[in-house]
Amino acid sequence: MADTTSTLEAPQPGRYSVPGPPPRPRSQLVGTGFAIAAGAMAVAGALGHYMARRHASGIDPGHDWLAGQSVPNPQLVYALITLLVSVVTAHWAVWASARGERSHTWVGMALTLVMGLAFFNMVMFSLNRMGLEIGSGEWATLAFAVTGLSLAILIVGMFYLGLMTLRSLGGSVGRDRSTPLGAAVFFWDFAVLAWAATWYVVYVVK
Amino acid sequence: MTDATTEATHSGGTAGAVPAEDPTAFGWLNTADHKRIGRLFIACSLLFALAGAIADLLVRFDLASSSGHTVLNGDSFVQVFTFTRDALVFGMLIPLFLGIAIYVVPLQVGAPNIAFGRAAALSFWGWLVSAGVLVGAYIANGGPGGGFSDGVDLHLLALAGLVISLLTGAICVAVTTLTMRAPGMYMDRTPPFAWSALVTASMLVVSLGVVLGQIVILYIEHRYGPRFLGGNYGIWSRIDWMYRTPQLFIYVVPVLGVVAEIMLAAARRWVFEPLALYFTMGLVGLFGFGAWANFGITDEGADIVDGLEGIVLVGLYAGALAGVSGLLALLGFTLWQSRNRPRPRSGAVSLTRPNTAVVAAFGAGTLIAVAALVGLIGTGVDWLQIAGRGTDGNAPLRFTTWVTGQQSLLIYGAGLLGGLAALHWWAPKIWGRRLSELAGFASLLAIGVGALVAWLGPTLSGVFTEQPQFVYGAPLLTTRYGSQVDDSGAEGLSALGAVGVVIVLVGVALVVLNLLVSVAMRKGAETEADPWDGLTPEWLLPSPPPLGPAAALPELTSGTPLLDAELNGNGLNGSGAAAERAAEEVPA
Repeated sequence: MADTTSTLEAPQPGRYSVPGPPPRPRSQLVGTGFAIAAGAMAVAGALGHYMARRHASGIDPGHDWLAGQSVPNPQLVYALITLLVSVVTAHWAVWASARGERSHTWVGMALTLVMGLAFFNMVMFSLNRMGLEIGSGEWATLAFAVTGLSLAILIVGMFYLGLMTLRSLGGSVGRDRSTPLGAAVFFWDFAVLAWAATWYVVYVVK
Repeated sequence: MTDATTEATHSGGTAGAVPAEDPTAFGWLNTADHKRIGRLFIACSLLFALAGAIADLLVRFDLASSSGHTVLNGDSFVQVFTFTRDALVFGMLIPLFLGIAIYVVPLQVGAPNIAFGRAAALSFWGWLVSAGVLVGAYIANGGPGGGFSDGVDLHLLALAGLVISLLTGAICVAVTTLTMRAPGMYMDRTPPFAWSALVTASMLVVSLGVVLGQIVILYIEHRYGPRFLGGNYGIWSRIDWMYRTPQLFIYVVPVLGVVAEIMLAAARRWVFEPLALYFTMGLVGLFGFGAWANFGITDEGADIVDGLEGIVLVGLYAGALAGVSGLLALLGFTLWQSRNRPRPRSGAVSLTRPNTAVVAAFGAGTLIAVAALVGLIGTGVDWLQIAGRGTDGNAPLRFTTWVTGQQSLLIYGAGLLGGLAALHWWAPKIWGRRLSELAGFASLLAIGVGALVAWLGPTLSGVFTEQPQFVYGAPLLTTRYGSQVDDSGAEGLSALGAVGVVIVLVGVALVVLNLLVSVAMRKGAETEADPWDGLTPEWLLPSPPPLGPAAALPELTSGTPLLDAELNGNGLNGSGAAAERAAEEVPA
């Protein structure tokens, strides 16, 4: 395969008159949007599968869908509220970033990450309290799969937010550079929404 | 520029340093350059085409006997069958056009590189490693229906890896088209292939996302669960919509982009209504969204084609057919409009001097239209039959080898012919050399004829003998198959299909051989920047363009700058459709 190492040849007049690549601030935002679309379809597909199985089990009156499993919802509600508050702090960080207020940006991001960790703590506590055993029945297996998918998306969101926070500490934040942070928060919004949908379908409607 | 970095500037200030490409062989491993990543995808996907066709051949030979398995056994048959689909769709069809898009789209839209170059590289290596693990799982008896439980888990993980990798690559292509176009290149002036790549990438994002959710559930169910989905036998029925129509139409939308590129270059003119060009390709992608056609989620779902789902399926095929036929009509009209247009020089591509790319593109476009029409007829028959008077014990066509025929038509016919057209068309740009026309025509003939024969055999078998397409839905279809194939004539038609696959295999081998001789052994003729008199921006660049990101971006005012230059050379101003209208007044 023929390779050459030089850059493009001398520009032809009128054809290569724009020097150098321009900044592409929207690329990360648009890419995040596509990732969100894929994630949304994954969650929707998994929830659709869950609901279809639940519907199928309803045909058989002798079938116990939950297999005697109790679901402690108060803790999960608190966990959801924590996530919703983290959305507010995340948007606070973006708002501050767009105005060049670095200290507010960092405080907002730090609060978001702390609340994210608190959420995981609450969810793990709830699942342990439920004694949800993977493979113990159809509902438990599906609930584990769908919950795991949503939690995985939240973990990706936390990682994305953490990465952008580190970049902001490195100086990549400000009026003209807030889009990457906004992209991470955009993904966080989606992750929270995906969890809310999962919580409603699996733990409220069951 | 030989510095370690290329300092790029732009009107808004310094864009920062971009790393130069390592010209050594090691550079292929750590590259983030779209040209190398594209070449890697193309080369490896052709190897999977060979592997998939060989596996398909084994399956069809096995079905050619009514006395039981001759080449394979019960377990391996199921796995070779599913491997065939995995290799041809996730190993060949999607990655081949993803690779071509990763190479060509940035050049077409005037971008310095693919968006998220490192992510694109990760996409390739993730795909390659996942594909290797997938093959390993199959070898270890771990495919769907396999007896090695851990191997089946590994297979599902590898499938998830393939899906995530291809999703990543698709997102890179889509973002490049949407956000990295050169100044002046608006969306309604995007070259047809770049647009088709955007359509496919967008539809892959939404459809592969669905299958990712399914794989998560299948993995948990198989590894830990009480196997309420059927365990290793329940896997295939819940994901096989990815390998069937209408989902297959999404994968071949880039073929339509290739057809449009080549036909418009042959016509030396732009379509009279560019929005119609974009709309028809979008229509095929939109109506190819196969996740709607997934009836395998619940056990009773396979029998509900008589309700709303039947109408949905008929509507999907009708929409895809409308899109394909509309596009072909638009291109045909454009060719007719340009019948008296003088060619600027003798080397230009035209319908009167057809080469491999032109004929393959014409064949690929026609086969997509045929596949959509046949799919509409088959689904309509199923729907009317079941809705009107019940099944009468007859199997719906979509449970028979009718489906295998459709897969052959779209994967071998449209996919491979479209790929052949794209490789011959862009070989000068990708490798700086033309591919052999003699070998090209031979491979074109073999793939075209082979695909038609591979389609006819199983299609006729599905219609006249109701031979079930193996491995759909419930397990133990072996016995059902055995009971229906005896003395029915299905074995002869399966043998016909096998002959078709042999011919296709010869064609694919010729393509690989052509690439080896013309490119790797450098026997192909070196070319100038624009050997075909192409229209789109990539033909402004040297063949091949140098590695690494461009130091400067082209200033484009349309997706057909070379056509604009030709028209402006005739004393006309403007670009695209406006210049075309003015060109009507130029005497031939």
